[in-house]
Amino acid sequence: MTAVVLALVGAAAGLLGSLMGVGGGIIVVPALSELHGVPFREAIAVSLVVIIANSSASSAAYVERGASDLEVGVVLELATVAGAILGSAVAGLAPVRTLKLLFAGVAIYSAVSLWLRRHRASDAQVVGGYAVRGWAPGLAVSVAAGAMSGLLGIGGGVFKMPAMTLAMGLPFKVAAATSNFMIGVTAAAGAYVYWGRGEVNAELAAPVVVGAFVGARLGSSLLARLPATRLQTAFAVFLAIMGGRMAWSVLGGAG
Amino acid sequence: MNRPVSLALWAGTFAGVALCLGAAVAHAAAWPIAPRLARLGVLAILLTPPLRLAVTAGAFWRAGRRRYAAAAAIVLLALVVAAIRAAAP
Repeated sequence: MTAVVLALVGAAAGLLGSLMGVGGGIIVVPALSELHGVPFREAIAVSLVVIIANSSASSAAYVERGASDLEVGVVLELATVAGAILGSAVAGLAPVRTLKLLFAGVAIYSAVSLWLRRHRASDAQVVGGYAVRGWAPGLAVSVAAGAMSGLLGIGGGVFKMPAMTLAMGLPFKVAAATSNFMIGVTAAAGAYVYWGRGEVNAELAAPVVVGAFVGARLGSSLLARLPATRLQTAFAVFLAIMGGRMAWSVLGGAG
Repeated sequence: MNRPVSLALWAGTFAGVALCLGAAVAHAAAWPIAPRLARLGVLAILLTPPLRLAVTAGAFWRAGRRRYAAAAAIVLLALVVAAIRAAAP
């Protein structure tokens, strides 16, 4: 696989991640493992490194602009890191089939909720001017997001984004920026475990990281210009596709 | 308080991406330094979240928002413990 193709995979993950508040693991893992034959664990390890790079590149710009809610971010990070540690601990015990169905159910429910409320999406893109509510569901979902990150090697943004927008009342763009701020920390706990086991293929990761940086920079500049309603609609479609794909992989017999 | 946090993120990201870019170029040119550059680049990326947490905790502390500083410090501690456990043989 050429470095250019790897960089393009990274760029797609970086662009999607910075616009939608997700890590991009949902692109990197299947692109490396299913399309290019990279062993699954190696793909997850590379994905976690890319998620951190993507998160750092996007959130550096967002934090500078005052678009990330740092207070919400650090409090929810307590829950995501606890969940990630819990998820890593029970990774071998939990039935993957059940987890995938849970993931699919939450993703499809969130997609429908976001779709129904898409016309009410706020275009606010700086912190303030809204009341943060629903801390309890936000923290609960963050624990689950962290656990899924530890179990599946994803950033957990697909859970955090609906929690922050639907339950906590953050505007879509602030939620995307805050989710990006948190994702790197969530992914780091898992990445250290893979690094310690010697499972991170640094030469494979390097071009993907470079691509992710370019994609994330492009995405963070586009976020300010694109209307929130369109972004929220795109995110709802993205969630529905991911949830449907996950459900099909279990119920269709492929997973 | 956003400025120091953003600078910490830029520092870690640029170091990591520059080393990864160097590694990709060295790999394409078949230079033997490529694996070492790639490992250093990935290591810089992995160290960015704890660096950012330390700077965030300090920035909240200086701003007098001690509870948020404590939250960031607890997350930092959890990451450091995870890194030490991962590094242990």
